[in-house]
Amino acid sequence: MNDYAVVWPRSPRTAEPVALAPRPTSLEGRRIAFLWDYMFRGEEIFPILERELQARIPGLSFVSYEAFGTTHGAGEHEVLEGLGRRLGELGVDAVISGMGC
Amino acid sequence: MLRASAAAELAGVPTSSLVCEGFVGQASATAGGLGMPNLPVAVVPGHVDTQTVDELERNIAEHTLEQVIANLCTQFDIGIDTADPGPTEVVFRGSFEEVNRHFLERRWSDGLPVVPPTVGAIDAFLAHSDLDPGHSFGPLLPDRRAATVQSVAVNGVMAGCRPEYMPVLLAIAEALADPAYGIEHSGNTPGAETLVTVNGPIARRLGFNDEQGALRDGFQANTSVGRFVRIYLRNVAGFLPWETDKATYGNTWRVAMAENEAVLTEIGWPPLAADHGIAAGVDAVTIARFTGGGVVTSVYGQTPEQMLDYLADALVKIGGWEYVFTVGVASNTYRPLLLLSPVLARTIAAAGWSKDRLREALWERARIPARRFEQYLGEWTNLVPGRRTLNDLVNLRVAAPVFGQGTSPDRLVPIVTDPSHIQIAVTGDPLRTNAYVFAHNGMLGFPTAKVVRPSPVVS
Repeated sequence: MNDYAVVWPRSPRTAEPVALAPRPTSLEGRRIAFLWDYMFRGEEIFPILERELQARIPGLSFVSYEAFGTTHGAGEHEVLEGLGRRLGELGVDAVISGMGC
Repeated sequence: MLRASAAAELAGVPTSSLVCEGFVGQASATAGGLGMPNLPVAVVPGHVDTQTVDELERNIAEHTLEQVIANLCTQFDIGIDTADPGPTEVVFRGSFEEVNRHFLERRWSDGLPVVPPTVGAIDAFLAHSDLDPGHSFGPLLPDRRAATVQSVAVNGVMAGCRPEYMPVLLAIAEALADPAYGIEHSGNTPGAETLVTVNGPIARRLGFNDEQGALRDGFQANTSVGRFVRIYLRNVAGFLPWETDKATYGNTWRVAMAENEAVLTEIGWPPLAADHGIAAGVDAVTIARFTGGGVVTSVYGQTPEQMLDYLADALVKIGGWEYVFTVGVASNTYRPLLLLSPVLARTIAAAGWSKDRLREALWERARIPARRFEQYLGEWTNLVPGRRTLNDLVNLRVAAPVFGQGTSPDRLVPIVTDPSHIQIAVTGDPLRTNAYVFAHNGMLGFPTAKVVRPSPVVS
């Protein structure tokens, strides 16, 4: 019987794990932006979240997904390249990003 | 959506990503590839598209909301990425059957037996490239692994390719790594599949079939190169069913296709690769992702005019929701592919028609009522939210002016923005009057062509 010494068929990852952004202990008084891929009923879901979050947490403000453009589609690369700068310009503290369905 | 979250996290802004229940596994695997294994998601139960407004409200308020708040206020560890073997490290020794069992258990195989990737077999492939084995064409999402020459050789061996196919395999890997292709979308739910088209003298030199049964398995070059693409997507890009590959149905890989270069030369038509910027006569591959295809049988006519309506009808009928890639999700990116058998291409060319003239004529005839187009976009689907008309989308500059010429819902509109978006290739049974049409996946697998670099080995 032949024996085969075989190598791994995958390839090295090009990115090391990176830390997530630090979280606040509370969302009170924070500015939350919605990012949307313009699919799967985000235009209905984000208003529900906005209403429910405002009912529970004082001092929140929100930035519409319209301030960024779609995060999925022909303009995705352009939107994501400029996202950090845009979030900074708008004074955003946290992001809710959808919809993965 | 997760890529947007990752970009925000890198900018120092905490995120919570919203995913439907069936996509939690994909999100987890994709997050790992983005370098953020702990990227947090909030789950929407079920799938949003089948829920009433009340059900959606209840699910978001009672289930998703708490997770969103927790995701934005909880500190997360950096996450652990498991250590990988080195690219040339021997990971297993055993018989043919044992190697195949080992690979199946680790999900490194497509389910058919693979050729064991031994160092000797890999070296035979590497001899057909001047590039360093560690050379990378770029990272492949979602796993963000490097598309190295070494990895191409290993997976080419496994797929049953011959060493001399290596230059073609390298060009495919280079195309997969090109951001224009959009490999990151290869696991989306429509489950489209990549088609490789080989052009240039190398096709016949390597034994690619470009005649009868051009899309059938049974020819080693066509079959194994097609299989290579799927295995490479699995092992290097990281698309695994039930995880990152969310094809609702999917299908087996597409056998690689070759154009009949002899007929193209005879009739003076440029090859498919020339439509994508590579000169005729140059060895090249073009990859594009197609949602499906269908045969157009027994085209009848002695002139191009007599054939046009049937071919245009086929172009229209093979599409549907895909027209969101003409207007909507990623406007102007739909690229259907029409295959003509040599006898059809010869008949059309004999009338003095160029490929461009044929494209123009097909563009004029391959049209559907505006109402039907709008149903695909936002009535039967919700792919373009807001039930917008084509005229709305023209006014928003999402659609080209040609879609807004008139207000009647019965007016006919084209299925692609520009005639040049209709791809045409010549292949198949030389003397049968059949054609074939592929529906395309738009920006989720945009046609991308690369030159095949010559092999340093003279065979």
